[in-house]
Amino acid sequence: MRAIIFSWEYPPRVVGQLSGYVSALSTQLASNKVDVNVVTYDDSATGQTKEPSGVKTFRVANPVRTHIGVLTWVLTLNQEIERAAANIYYESNKQVDLIDVHDWHFIPAAVTLKNGLGIPFVYSVESLEDHRSPNAYAPYNMAIKSIEWMGFFEAKRISAKSEWMKDEIQRIYKVPKEKITVISTDPSVWIKEILKLYHSMEETEE
Amino acid sequence: MKDKLSVMMLSWEYPPRVIGGISPHIYFLSKHLAKQDVKVYVVTCDFPGAPAHEVIDGVEVYRIDSYKNPSPDFATWVYLMNMNMQRETAALTRKIADKIDVFHAHDWLVANAGIGLKHVFRKPLLVTMHSTELGRRDGLHTTTEKMIHETEAWLTYEAWKVICCSDYMISHVKYAFGLPSDKLVMVPNGVNTHSYDVDCDLKDFRGKFALPEEKIVLFVGRLVYEKGMHVLINAVPKILSKVDAKFIIVGSGYMKEQLLNIVRSMGLEHKVLFEGFMDEPTLLKLQRCADVSVVPSLFEPFGIVALEAMAARCPVVASDTGGLSEIIEHDVTGVKVYPNNPDSLAWGITKVLLDGNYAKFVRDNAYKRVQEKYDWEKIAQQTKGIYEGVLGEYSKSFWAK
Repeated sequence: MRAIIFSWEYPPRVVGQLSGYVSALSTQLASNKVDVNVVTYDDSATGQTKEPSGVKTFRVANPVRTHIGVLTWVLTLNQEIERAAANIYYESNKQVDLIDVHDWHFIPAAVTLKNGLGIPFVYSVESLEDHRSPNAYAPYNMAIKSIEWMGFFEAKRISAKSEWMKDEIQRIYKVPKEKITVISTDPSVWIKEILKLYHSMEETEE
Repeated sequence: MKDKLSVMMLSWEYPPRVIGGISPHIYFLSKHLAKQDVKVYVVTCDFPGAPAHEVIDGVEVYRIDSYKNPSPDFATWVYLMNMNMQRETAALTRKIADKIDVFHAHDWLVANAGIGLKHVFRKPLLVTMHSTELGRRDGLHTTTEKMIHETEAWLTYEAWKVICCSDYMISHVKYAFGLPSDKLVMVPNGVNTHSYDVDCDLKDFRGKFALPEEKIVLFVGRLVYEKGMHVLINAVPKILSKVDAKFIIVGSGYMKEQLLNIVRSMGLEHKVLFEGFMDEPTLLKLQRCADVSVVPSLFEPFGIVALEAMAARCPVVASDTGGLSEIIEHDVTGVKVYPNNPDSLAWGITKVLLDGNYAKFVRDNAYKRVQEKYDWEKIAQQTKGIYEGVLGEYSKSFWAK
């Protein structure tokens, strides 16, 4: 099985909890015979990179350096994420089973890759804009919410880290609950549940 | 084995959505490419009342959801719209049986979509740069302007070839983004001469604007500084001392009030008419009955208005600057005058108005030149040639294997 993981933070770049989580996830997957390709942001400020064994990492820089906000920064960076993923796809004889997207940042790239190349994606939810910025309805927040919405709509599966988050995704975005899998935090079953989720991605939809 | 070349054209405007010059450009280019046996798909922003898919003159037109949530600002909207454009165009490209050979993007407004689709489908990307942020703003003063400029640079970097509409724009784009010369191709903008084939009697129509003894001097353009309308106003008394004329100003802009005040203070209100925006059929007729068309611009990337006048068989007096310098051949297809010089402008206009034989000579030459060089059919042929050249190079690249 070949998986591509999208995350805007990955060691040595640590913004929040996601970085450590994606790092543990990718090494665990690699030791379970998954061909893991992490596509992430090349943060020059974080210094020397030491790549973990078994995990292929692709770090891309933003093609546009001057920005007026997070949205324009994210949306141009998405193009390089998309390009890196397309390269992995073509260089592996078009054998990519899934993309696992962590949070909203690289949803646009995953959506284009799904529609253009037929690669399904899992939307792994760490947090939602509604919780990060409660009662914020400025165009900026609404744009992020619209990207989250598109992610839930286009994803084949959604993974949440708690029952509470599953309920929140359902409540806020009206996502059918069959689409959402809660991944246990118990270290003995955690990776098995993720592998099970990944394998369910291979089932053909109708 | 498929034999028909197919192109996916990306543009933020296509009729009935008309914001600037790109919309008619895409319309005519696509239509004439289709006549040259090229399969053309146009992907553009939606417009109230226009269908999501239709076939116009053999061109497949798709209108995408242009992102209608509130956006923080125009530039952010452009990137969000590109997200939607990519999503829908990717699905469309995957669906259509005959695969797309090239993607052709127009201006930075579709940069992200063009670049993304290039890499997802591994097909060559062509870009037409109609304008640049550097030229529009005369420098890069704000963060937004710098961001747009960098996006343009990125787009031209990703493109296989960059098409510009004049030699002036070629050198400007080369300088702005540091591109190698062999990446740039000049294909002029076109004008549709048939639009002006109105055979009805224009005498009554002319009477609405001028007295029979008055010559008509026509200015068409936005009333902004770089269009040089103020130069024309300063030339008016000099012209009127030699020949009786009416000056008709079509267009609007931030300088309108200021220009109106100058005209009033000069006591020329009865000679200079500000018509504001004008619908296309009326403008076409007016261009047909004008005795001279004036383009006094200080800065002009191409100068389509000069071509339109030439197609309408109206003699042109234009400043020797930018794209206009290339369109007009002095004393052959029109009159070139010094930019920002009312005396020179008055001299050129007076010459055309007083010498009927000379006016006829440049007018006829200009019409012939437009048919030879700025004809959409020829432009589409040239564009098809560029596609074929790029595909020839592409076929030898590892992407084609």
